[in-house]
Amino acid sequence: MDRDVLARNNVRVSGRGTQPMLFAHGFGCDQNMWRFVAPAFEDDYQVVLFDYVGSGRSDLGAYDAQRYATLDGYAQDVLDVVRALDLREVTLVGHSVSGMVAVLAANAEPERFERLILIGPSPRYVNDPPYVGGFERADIEGLLEMMDRNYIGWAQFLAPAIIKNPDRPELGEELTESFCSTDPVVARRFAEATFLSDNRADVPKVRVPALILQCSDDMVAPAEVGEYLHREMPGSTLRVMQATGHCPHMSHPDETIELMRAYLQPALAA
Amino acid sequence: MNAGAAAPGRSLDPLLDHAPCGFLSFADDGTITAANATLAAMLGHAPGELEGLRIDAVLTVGARLFYQTHFFPLVRMHGHAEEVFLVLRAADGGGVPVLANVARAERGGAWANDCVFMRVTERAKFEEQLLNARRAAEAARHEVEEHAEELRVANETLEQQAVELEMAQQQLEEQAVELQAQADTLQAVNDELVARGEELERQRAAADEANRAKSGFLAVMSHELRTPLNAIAGYVQLLEMGIHGPVTDAQRGALDRIARSQNHLLRLINDVLNLARIESGRVEFLVEEVDVAGLMGEVTPMVEPQLGAKALAFAVTVPPGTAVRADREKVQQILINLLGNAIKFTPPGGRVWVEAARDGRDPSRVLLRVADSGIGIAPEKQGSVFEPFVQVDMSRTGRSEGSGLGLAISRDLARGMGGDLSLESEPGKGSVFTLTLPAVADG
Repeated sequence: MDRDVLARNNVRVSGRGTQPMLFAHGFGCDQNMWRFVAPAFEDDYQVVLFDYVGSGRSDLGAYDAQRYATLDGYAQDVLDVVRALDLREVTLVGHSVSGMVAVLAANAEPERFERLILIGPSPRYVNDPPYVGGFERADIEGLLEMMDRNYIGWAQFLAPAIIKNPDRPELGEELTESFCSTDPVVARRFAEATFLSDNRADVPKVRVPALILQCSDDMVAPAEVGEYLHREMPGSTLRVMQATGHCPHMSHPDETIELMRAYLQPALAA
Repeated sequence: MNAGAAAPGRSLDPLLDHAPCGFLSFADDGTITAANATLAAMLGHAPGELEGLRIDAVLTVGARLFYQTHFFPLVRMHGHAEEVFLVLRAADGGGVPVLANVARAERGGAWANDCVFMRVTERAKFEEQLLNARRAAEAARHEVEEHAEELRVANETLEQQAVELEMAQQQLEEQAVELQAQADTLQAVNDELVARGEELERQRAAADEANRAKSGFLAVMSHELRTPLNAIAGYVQLLEMGIHGPVTDAQRGALDRIARSQNHLLRLINDVLNLARIESGRVEFLVEEVDVAGLMGEVTPMVEPQLGAKALAFAVTVPPGTAVRADREKVQQILINLLGNAIKFTPPGGRVWVEAARDGRDPSRVLLRVADSGIGIAPEKQGSVFEPFVQVDMSRTGRSEGSGLGLAISRDLARGMGGDLSLESEPGKGSVFTLTLPAVADG
């Protein structure tokens, strides 16, 4: 059973530390997106990476449309991995939608987690005045449209085109092949589960200390959302980054690592 | 916007302003560092107006989300991307569908994301049709999946029924085998019955043959017996006439006894002969129209001496015109026999009478009843009085005269003429013998 989970979620463990740091990727990609950040913690932590079922190199055969219709199914994946490796005092790092997945997992089994680091999280993407999520329903439809159109072409262009990596030769062929090549139907359901979710009610229930990394100009998770989360989430810390965009761990890995270390330092010292 | 400020710092070769596709370069933080005039025109901006803006500014909201979740991570990881569909945002807010090729390159110590945009309005239309077709297919598939359950249930039901039918068929086959076995058994039984029937037929033929042989023997024997009896009767008469000398009273008494014995024996033999003749089918019936009243006129004188001897009252009732189709002599023989019995079994002072009538239930028949007020016949013995060689109630009659064949012969004769003979009797009150004969059709 445990072995099944490790294969199912393509779990990768590295690092020389004992305390686990579990990275949960966001919608649209897979564990490879942590490539610029995760190695920085291998000296001090047991680094655990995984792919959600339906993403990356997970077992697509284990995909269950019912289970993954909501973010609870994805939180279950996180807990399955935690249990399979019997991880404790976990620092759970979640990007984008995985911010809320981390909240759900931590609320379900708070004793397993010591810290949450939420990068660009949002409890609800669609505006619900006075709540500001940043999007209207029609905007989400626009994204789904864009995904549909690109998946038509991606099947053709991904495989041969990305074998060559002129500026990143260190990337293995194996990795690039899997990157972002999620199944279109699964990706669409993940998009709907993500962008049509409303997890505001779960936020005040968080009992695990959390760091919220808010980019300074993130159209996916606007500044108002970061402030809302910080206000509603007990024991949370908000850091507004100089980094812009929605993927600071990819666009600004150094600043991301810096802020994570600064937040975790007291814990390391203890 | 701040086009004026950015324009002087343009790093783009002016030659690209004349290219038929849009060029754009942006930094990792999203800031647009260069754009050609073609792109600016495509989006309704003045040349140089795009530099300094964020990449988000030239994307529709949906495209921004896609850029953040897919496009940027892809380019960041792979260093390039080809033919990505995006909808750019024009100055007036409208969407401009494009295909984007992107490559990352390091220039002047910083990463630049160089993009080429080609308008794909026509392609977008085709893709839309393709997508709509695919969505329709998807919807159809969902519908099929929904029906699949119904089909599965229906299929299970059918399979169940098929199993049941198969079982039923097996049962039928087993029953067929059983029926065949039973049919075989019945055929065997039938064969045996046929064989037995044939055997019985042979036995019956043999019995008939034996019976005929017996009757023939009896007829011959009776004839052979009658010849010496006639001789006895003749010599008794000669002795009585005194031809061989005077006859004493004692001798006359002995001769009388010899004559009576001879007469009795002759009647016995005649009865046996008659019965044998009838049974061997050698009796011929001369059927004619017989007037019953006339017939009784002939019969009555023949029994009057006996009636008188026992002082019996006698009456005959025959409706005028009553007639039967029969053999006159045979009917006479039957009536004499019946009257003889009636007289024999009726004590002195009793009554004997004859009635003739049409059968009320069957007008084609005439009933001739010979009744008496005699001793009657017990019910348990009534069935056997017509059997040959049976005499009823010998204890009451003492040593009976006659052969005991009279009733058997009478019934055989009646039946031989298409009639019958039956009996009703009550012990102590008397008997009624009913002779049934075909009536003469009314003219």
